[in-house]
Amino acid sequence: MATSNPHKWASLPDPSLAELGRAGEGDAQAFKLIVERYQGMVYSVAYNVLGNHTDAEDAAQEAFLRCYRKLPQFRGEATFSTWLFRLALTASVDYKRREKRHPEPIETPEMVADAVPQLGEGIDAATIVAALHDLPEDYRVPTVLRDVYGLPYQEIAEATARPLGTVKVMVHRGRASLRLKLRAGGAGPAQGPAGAGPRSDA
Amino acid sequence: MDCSYFRERINQYIDGEMGYLEVAELQAHLSFCPDCAAELAQVGEVRGALAAWGRLELAPPPGFAERVMAVVEREPVPGSRKPFGQAVDDTLQRLDDTLGRIPLPGGRTIPVKNLIGWGLAAVAVGIGLGRHRGRRSRELTPL
Repeated sequence: MATSNPHKWASLPDPSLAELGRAGEGDAQAFKLIVERYQGMVYSVAYNVLGNHTDAEDAAQEAFLRCYRKLPQFRGEATFSTWLFRLALTASVDYKRREKRHPEPIETPEMVADAVPQLGEGIDAATIVAALHDLPEDYRVPTVLRDVYGLPYQEIAEATARPLGTVKVMVHRGRASLRLKLRAGGAGPAQGPAGAGPRSDA
Repeated sequence: MDCSYFRERINQYIDGEMGYLEVAELQAHLSFCPDCAAELAQVGEVRGALAAWGRLELAPPPGFAERVMAVVEREPVPGSRKPFGQAVDDTLQRLDDTLGRIPLPGGRTIPVKNLIGWGLAAVAVGIGLGRHRGRRSRELTPL
């Protein structure tokens, strides 16, 4: 179940303002601790928005670069993890708009978990990955932002530079498509060397 | 009203975007329409699965943190750049994000802002050459 795979970073306290200050002053070791702690979160966001590992790694790297450049502007008004999560989402959506990649074969990502999660009745990680992969490009990003990350429609419209009404229609169609695939078993299980198993070294 | 009227509103219901009376109307319909009730339950289940998926942490590829640090260590110390240089960088980044890139053969891409820059440079050179030729022709024309 999902609870068997909690975010690694969620169990740790946010870095203190002093630690963030050191990273913002160019202390590489301090920034490396941030990267190591939050790399799973940032990579997960990028993968879910972009749907393949190559683009996810590029976008996640860009998110950390933006984080490094903007650290002196972080004032602690939100928690650091929330601030970084938004940076990761923005970097991934910007990357999606900027880069037009050819689709890659489906490959279920590995989890930072001890157990393979079951997400619903007959729905596992491989099924979700395959169903999201099969979604038309225009539906995927708004549906992920809305239903995977719970963003308000208005915020999705701003992030994707699309009218609010268009975004709602895309999400509704994305949900309908996912419902048919997941309920009818229409999405074939994802294949790949990673499988849906846990990563032993994470 | 037939089921299509209510099915179009299931998403609004799930998103909490319906008024009190509309909710009451839909709930009344759901109480005696098993098909619409099943559709609502299925959409709810899919949303639940997606939200649960969003709470999972995926493992980045091996060596990811080291690759990030290799890029970060080539960066200037944050805030050390002069405000003008920072503003130029931010503007170019925003232009890149807004305009996007054009795909080239072989999977490579080129930023649209570069094409615009080259176009403006070509126009500037063209204007300069035109003026130069005009001046020369005036100088060579006998009075």
